[in-house]
Amino acid sequence: MTGTVTGRQKADAPEPIRRFFMPEVSESWESLAERASTVAATSIDVGTLQSWNLHLSMRPPSIILTPTDIVFVDPPLPE
Amino acid sequence: MFDLIIKNGLICDGTGTLPAMGAVAIQGGKIISVAREADSSPALGEAHKTVDAGGAVIAPGFIDPHTHFDAQLTWDGLAKPSIEHGVTTIIPGNCSLSLAPLKKEHREFLGATFRQIEEMPKSAFDAGLRWTWETFGEYADSIRPNLGIHVAPLVGHSLLRLWVLGLESRKRVSTPAEVRQLCDLLRESLDGGALGLSTSFSDIDHEFRPVPCRLGTMEELHALAAVLGERDRPLQVLPEFWDIDLLCTRIDLLADISLRHEIPVTFSPLFESASTPRLVERALERLELHAARGARLTAQMQTRPVDMTFDTSIPSAVFTAMPNWMGMLMQGPDATRKAFADKSMRAALVADSETDQMPIALSFQLGDTILSAATGAAIADVGRPLREIAAERGQHPAEVLMDISLDEDLSARFTAKGLGHFDEEKIAPHLDHPQIQIGSGDGGAHVARFATYGDTGHLFARYVRAHRALSLERAVQRLTADIADVWGLKGKGRIAPGLDADFVLFDPETIDRGPEELAFDLPDAGKSFRFIRQARGVHEVFVGGASVYSEAKGYSDARRGQIVEGGQVR
Repeated sequence: MTGTVTGRQKADAPEPIRRFFMPEVSESWESLAERASTVAATSIDVGTLQSWNLHLSMRPPSIILTPTDIVFVDPPLPE
Repeated sequence: MFDLIIKNGLICDGTGTLPAMGAVAIQGGKIISVAREADSSPALGEAHKTVDAGGAVIAPGFIDPHTHFDAQLTWDGLAKPSIEHGVTTIIPGNCSLSLAPLKKEHREFLGATFRQIEEMPKSAFDAGLRWTWETFGEYADSIRPNLGIHVAPLVGHSLLRLWVLGLESRKRVSTPAEVRQLCDLLRESLDGGALGLSTSFSDIDHEFRPVPCRLGTMEELHALAAVLGERDRPLQVLPEFWDIDLLCTRIDLLADISLRHEIPVTFSPLFESASTPRLVERALERLELHAARGARLTAQMQTRPVDMTFDTSIPSAVFTAMPNWMGMLMQGPDATRKAFADKSMRAALVADSETDQMPIALSFQLGDTILSAATGAAIADVGRPLREIAAERGQHPAEVLMDISLDEDLSARFTAKGLGHFDEEKIAPHLDHPQIQIGSGDGGAHVARFATYGDTGHLFARYVRAHRALSLERAVQRLTADIADVWGLKGKGRIAPGLDADFVLFDPETIDRGPEELAFDLPDAGKSFRFIRQARGVHEVFVGGASVYSEAKGYSDARRGQIVEGGQVR
């Protein structure tokens, strides 16, 4: 599931504030970067993706990636 | 002949209309008539018992939509002290965690998870809880006979997954066949008395792993939401509440669930924080966008500031962004004593305490922390901030905390005030916002950290009287009809003929929460304690037409609480 593909959303659904997708359980960062590049239609390396997703990359190892986690493929918005 | 007439009261009926003096007549636990005249009780007729409200407000019983009383209800059917604050209906089972349905072999795991997340002392949990159920219906049946308060319990998504997938629910997604089983189990739980479903995108268990519901996919959640849609039942969610981008994205996803399955969805918490000052504003913008699309999505906001009391015998959330502290505390008291006495470790802990990072949306400064309880030499410093004591001693505040803790064998308590949600000028308009409901009180949880009781009185004391942000009748509406309508609570939230006879009689000039105090009333014979707040200005509370609490007599033996029916969403 991505922020732009939700088949039954109404036409007037607002654009996501940052594009995203959801990972597989314990998916590797290499795999995530590949998928992120596809969603964003531009190359995103692992380091960049991790820096945009500190809520995931800074987690302790015991808190594995889950299928409802949000992986952003855009940089953080300025507050 | 009525069972009861309550006369000479200022009726705030929950609709937000102007209050009027009058009386209400009750029979069989229901409101039969409401008369709005100064001396109207004769018009209603005779009653076996008449209560003179003496001009106090007569309001529908308050509703607390975010509690974790699941365990306490097995030994305390009144959910004390919530009920004395005027709360006559509670919603437990939030954040994916209920106590049913649960197979016998998973009790130990679930108990440890529940105690970790809701911060319930093990001694009290073990002493009070008698696991006599497996299904949700059996749990409801086990608490029903002793209920003096109404309960509208949610079934936890983590419990559903634990039942169907076993401990594999912590590791993997469900198969299509398992999703069907989850949906069947949800239907069975709703049949057994569950009001709706709760889930979480944030919680971690006692082994610091995601709770089982977090291993479910969005497709699984949509399948469960479709079951809720069959009966117009609510979904409660714990989102990534501390981060603007994550929260706004999650709001989009939740709005999609609400729209697609035509169900009410509510998330909690949402609170003001100095560390993320625009979070509430941005979340509300998003909520308003989706409300315009027809989504029934609301956020819950508490009325009280976030204060937290801790000692150094166990881990506390205030140390979340201090890895040396957290790592040490997680190893237990012996490791903590050793570290506090070790020169190099003390230096590391001092350095750790200077972090600019904040725990989840909280603003913790160790130096501002107050020594709140001590029995030894430090007793003279109780009530003073560590920064002040440290200046006198020529120490760092973290060193003061360590030394006092060592002197008191880790039993000294410290209170961090104003960790978040303390800017009342900013909070006031939120409490009247249509996409916000007043909740997130967390009653029954975090019992040794802070008192989760009295948010209702705090609303009147701070936001009706001090700030004049809400009228009396609007505040009552916010605590009653507005919540009942979101959650579809049948017969609740208003004073009108045919509805349940749940009332709170209070003095609008004095209703408040009392000071935080220690209580040794958990079922482990005083081995552990909890923080409570007693009510002020609440004269009497009625559930099902029976007085369950009065200022003069305390708690009664009345047990007219019920498992509340749902599906009446407005």
